[in-house]
Amino acid sequence: MSEKLQTLIIEDEELARNLLRSYLKDHPDIEIIGECENGFDGVKAINENKPDLVFLDIQMPKITGFEMIELLDYKPQIIFTTAYDQYALKAFELNAVDYLLKPFSKDRLLAAIEKVKHRILNEEDNTEKLEELSNFRPGEDFIDRVVVKDRHKIHIITVDQIRYIESLDDYVMIYTNDGRHMKQKTMKYFETYLDPKNFIRIHRSYIVQVDNIAEIQQYEKEAYIVILKDKDKTKLKVSKTGYKKIKEVLHF
Amino acid sequence: MKHPLTNNYRLLGFYAIFWATIGTINLVLQLLWYNVPLSYSLLDTGTNYVLYPLLGSSIWYSIRYSNLEEVSIGRLIIFHLIAASILCGIWVYISYAIYKPFVKDNDFLNNGLPPKIFLGYIMYVIYLVFFYAVNYYESLKEKIKKESEYKALIREAELQALKSQINPHFLFNSLNSISSLTVSNPEKAQEMVINLSSLMRYSLMHNQKEMVSFSRELENIKLYLGIEKVRFGKKLNAEFEIDAHCLEAEIPNMILQPIYENAIKYGVYETTDQVTIKTCCMCDGNILKINIVNDYDASTIKRRGEGIGLRNIRKRMEIIYNNPDLIKITDNKTSFEVQLVIPQKQAVS
Repeated sequence: MSEKLQTLIIEDEELARNLLRSYLKDHPDIEIIGECENGFDGVKAINENKPDLVFLDIQMPKITGFEMIELLDYKPQIIFTTAYDQYALKAFELNAVDYLLKPFSKDRLLAAIEKVKHRILNEEDNTEKLEELSNFRPGEDFIDRVVVKDRHKIHIITVDQIRYIESLDDYVMIYTNDGRHMKQKTMKYFETYLDPKNFIRIHRSYIVQVDNIAEIQQYEKEAYIVILKDKDKTKLKVSKTGYKKIKEVLHF
Repeated sequence: MKHPLTNNYRLLGFYAIFWATIGTINLVLQLLWYNVPLSYSLLDTGTNYVLYPLLGSSIWYSIRYSNLEEVSIGRLIIFHLIAASILCGIWVYISYAIYKPFVKDNDFLNNGLPPKIFLGYIMYVIYLVFFYAVNYYESLKEKIKKESEYKALIREAELQALKSQINPHFLFNSLNSISSLTVSNPEKAQEMVINLSSLMRYSLMHNQKEMVSFSRELENIKLYLGIEKVRFGKKLNAEFEIDAHCLEAEIPNMILQPIYENAIKYGVYETTDQVTIKTCCMCDGNILKINIVNDYDASTIKRRGEGIGLRNIRKRMEIIYNNPDLIKITDNKTSFEVQLVIPQKQAVS
């Protein structure tokens, strides 16, 4: 490789950053172009600087390393670093990226860099695998929040702010009290990871928060719509199975 | 199971007195009412109420090895019929061997034989019922004992499970900090290894002792926060306001650790600003009140109230103090507050 790998370190703990830097200092193929202390700065730095390689901590303030991936316009090679979590298994399984378990040795780090170099040489594309990784949630836990990016601003939407979600081909539109946000995720993802006690898939195209339903109207035989509690009294179509689910959750 | 008569001397005494009484009544009746000669009466009573009880005690073994639930009724009847016949045969044979030197009257011997054999079978049935009752009672007693032992074991295991273990996330991150410090600041690395060791030793010790002094637990918490402070630097700020006389109070060990772990996880992890964890303590007669407040960034997380850590504390307190309401959790939207009330055996003054 003629040129050095432009490398970014994203890690919230100073001591962990120091260690990485000291390991990478003399490496002939690495040039550190920056360090970020949190996910917000990390997304910005990756999208702006387009590094070749990123060392990414998973557990970070504001947004996690995994949530960051969802917000990237540009996908560099990524080596995850983490102390202990359930994602480790999945990441190894996918073999999309390398994974360093803290504390790690210098040798282990060098081996990971070799792998990355190999992948770049063979022009392997990891976009799909990264996407699969970001869709994975360990355990039966439901998600607490969704991160979205409008132009250059990142928003964290806690699930209680979500009023309803509409499907738009490959995207979804998330409606909150303050407006709406587009996100590249499937309806299936939200149907799986939002608590079904609070969110109902009422139609192929809609997932609604239960507390947000004002009333349910029948407009034809076996055809219903829900009217939401907002200024515009938004009306959404309900499918047959959707109506059944509403009945189950609301007990009527 | 051992033979109840040799195992339980009270029962043996009762058994002896019972048959002695029956034998005496028989003797008196025969002498005064039927005018039987004393020697005959003594022989009859002796064989019926001394010899039979001695031989009959072996019936215990026949019921031990023919469990009512495992053997069919038909087999059981045949089994006991055979056992009764053998016992009866032996008993009658020995009785007559004793009679022979004393009794010259052949009519007495011949006419006495059928009722003697009949009595042998009747007695067998009485013994059978008696031993079945004893057996049933003993197994019931054993079952109750086993059950209570089992319950105590479960309780113990539950308590063990509820006690907090060192969180692996914390452990590996701390080790990573140490790994980094060995390069940049070996002395600090050494200090941190020692602190981490003390913390782990304390958490291992808690397997042996349920209650510790509040000062000991507090020391441990400060050690824990000290280690986290090395990782998080200025982001973590811990404040303590402790009444000095509270330090003598007794508290379940490692009960506070999960509260601070939560404060770090939801407070410090999730924000880039400084987070203060404030601990206030006061004693009021027979209770120790501990209040732990931390601020958190409500824009990034939605706290779900009671997580597994806090639920475990509630459960553990419930097992120890028999009261489910000793922990109070308040979410003030920008801060999170946990209040523990710990009853004291003696008033702390």
